[in-house]
Amino acid sequence: MAIYPDPTALSGGPATTAAGPTPADVAQADADVEVALESLGQWQLAWRRFRKHRMAMVGLGFFVFMVLVAIFGPIIVPYDPLNIPGSTIPGGMPPSLAHPFGTDNDGRDVFAMVVNGARISVAIGGISMLIAGIVGVGVGAIAGYFGGWVDNVLMRVVDTFFAIPLLFVILVAARFFGEGQVTSLILIFGLLSWPIIARLVRASFLSLRESDFVEAARAVGVKDARITFRHILPNAIGPVIVAMTLIMASNIVLEAFVSYLNFGISPDQTSWGNALANAQSALGLGNWWWAFFPGMAIAITVMAINFVGDGLRDALDPRTRL
Amino acid sequence: MTQYIVRRVIQAIPVLFLISVVSFVLMMQAPGGPAAQFNQNPHISPAQINKWLADWCLVRQPTVMDTVREYLGWLGVWNCTGGSFLSAHGLPNFLPAFLGGGTNGILHGDFGYSIETGQPVLQMILARLPATLILMGTAFVLWATIAILAGVLAAVKRYSFFDQSVTFVSYVFYSLPTFWLGLILIFIFGVTLRWFPVQGIVNVRNTPAPFATSAYWAAFAANPLPYLYDIGAHLVLPVVTLIAVSIAGDSRFVRSAMLDSLHQDYVRTARAKGISERQVIVRHAFRNAMLPILTNLALEIAFLFSGAIVTETVFSWPGMGRLYYDGVNARDYFLLMGILLIGSVLVVVMNLVADIAYAIADPRIRYD
Repeated sequence: MAIYPDPTALSGGPATTAAGPTPADVAQADADVEVALESLGQWQLAWRRFRKHRMAMVGLGFFVFMVLVAIFGPIIVPYDPLNIPGSTIPGGMPPSLAHPFGTDNDGRDVFAMVVNGARISVAIGGISMLIAGIVGVGVGAIAGYFGGWVDNVLMRVVDTFFAIPLLFVILVAARFFGEGQVTSLILIFGLLSWPIIARLVRASFLSLRESDFVEAARAVGVKDARITFRHILPNAIGPVIVAMTLIMASNIVLEAFVSYLNFGISPDQTSWGNALANAQSALGLGNWWWAFFPGMAIAITVMAINFVGDGLRDALDPRTRL
Repeated sequence: MTQYIVRRVIQAIPVLFLISVVSFVLMMQAPGGPAAQFNQNPHISPAQINKWLADWCLVRQPTVMDTVREYLGWLGVWNCTGGSFLSAHGLPNFLPAFLGGGTNGILHGDFGYSIETGQPVLQMILARLPATLILMGTAFVLWATIAILAGVLAAVKRYSFFDQSVTFVSYVFYSLPTFWLGLILIFIFGVTLRWFPVQGIVNVRNTPAPFATSAYWAAFAANPLPYLYDIGAHLVLPVVTLIAVSIAGDSRFVRSAMLDSLHQDYVRTARAKGISERQVIVRHAFRNAMLPILTNLALEIAFLFSGAIVTETVFSWPGMGRLYYDGVNARDYFLLMGILLIGSVLVVVMNLVADIAYAIADPRIRYD
């Protein structure tokens, strides 16, 4: 399904109007656009609304930039974040032209750490978000579709996830099962953050199951599976996508925290949290740049994702119209 | 209503059961496991280890049935020393001790002993409780006050400069990693400006004994002012770190709840009657907006509990969060299970209280 609008559809082709309007007639042209809008798909409409949200577009732009940094940055930056040349100054050098973000105690370039760290941090946030989305939609759809005892059992499991302080479980899981590997941390974050999505999907299912259009589809004999995937899920997907952006943002922060405590990514790899791991001891020396730049990278990326989530919330809510 | 409360309590039981299973499995299935941790400790003799293992039904190389027995023993349903579901008195083991039940397991308040220190887990947790309560209590009061004030003012003066600044500041703070904010505050106010202490809860040089010992409380009671001042100074940075991020989210929540309420018909009616704007806002709009806000407040206590672990590790605050962090480092399984379980039960109880309070406070909602 294309998120980008078809330009011909946007220009307002005379789809259903019987009397073709003259281009000079402004009022008629407005009515024409109105007609053309009706022929736009759900995603095209959403994209039109999203584009109007200035902060969301800025956020999206920055996020795309971060993804590009994550992919190509390590190739361009001349320093290896794991190369330990030994510092010429105890506590690392302050920012300079050669090292725009300074160096750390071991003489490693902080800028290289931030650029390389983007890869693991964004990957953990993004992939764990996808896992959470898939598991959450699956569990929520099963619970909402079958109802009864299946629903009851699954929702008690979801309740349990909500009751256990998540951070406590993540620390234990990362330390005992994570083994410093990116893949295991992605799995841990993904498999611990789906319950909110399951709850959202189930709630939409419960309300949509009783709606008129589902009733109508059932009346004409549409199969249950088709009702689920064609009629209910597309209508329930808006809040899910918004929740997924929030999960991505929070998982990036969680990874940083877990790695900061040395329970996450092992020291032979670089993530933003990892770059912060030894920063606290340096703060006492007045060396702010170790802690400042990786943290800023996290904060700005998370803010960008939150803006995108905000824009999506407005764009995907079917009640808001252009 | 009674029926609703009873049903919510019954619904909580399977959740509590699942929580205990998750806590148990998480710890027992961890590589190494508690038995391996014992073997590492040179202060424990083999005889002690064997008694320890027997007391907790722990078996080296357990089968599935052994694991189930371990779980039931930890829970207190299974009598480990007797090897049956019955206590030494011949009654079901899960009954309270004074009714003839057993004494082992969490149902009887026995959370086991710390592998690291050998102390009873419950005693260790209780010793750390005051510090966590001081931190969370102060944070909660400040946070609720500021979030509600900022949110209500922003809603009343919608689109004003104040509203826009609150929105902007919330956006910025909402995206900050809590622990990183703590690091930056340490650098600015602790290291550079030297306004506030950055570690611990008391200045150990000025106290006769470590915090929360009886000697400390005795000195505290004799002359409380300097001690209160000491704790207060240590509280500033951790509390700011703990609440800054959540205030950002919650002032937005309060603002939208208040906006909802300001657009209701009864507010227009109140204005039409000629009541002063202040009365309209405080007595009509705000009182109705309080409902969702109060529910949210109760739920956020659970969030604070999670946030405590972040703040306490960054600021070396001697509370439960720090204890948990140290426990993870030392693989102190019984301690971890105890904190995880107590924390989760706290959350379940808070949710239950919030739901019931909501049902009582809002007569429009019927549950049946």
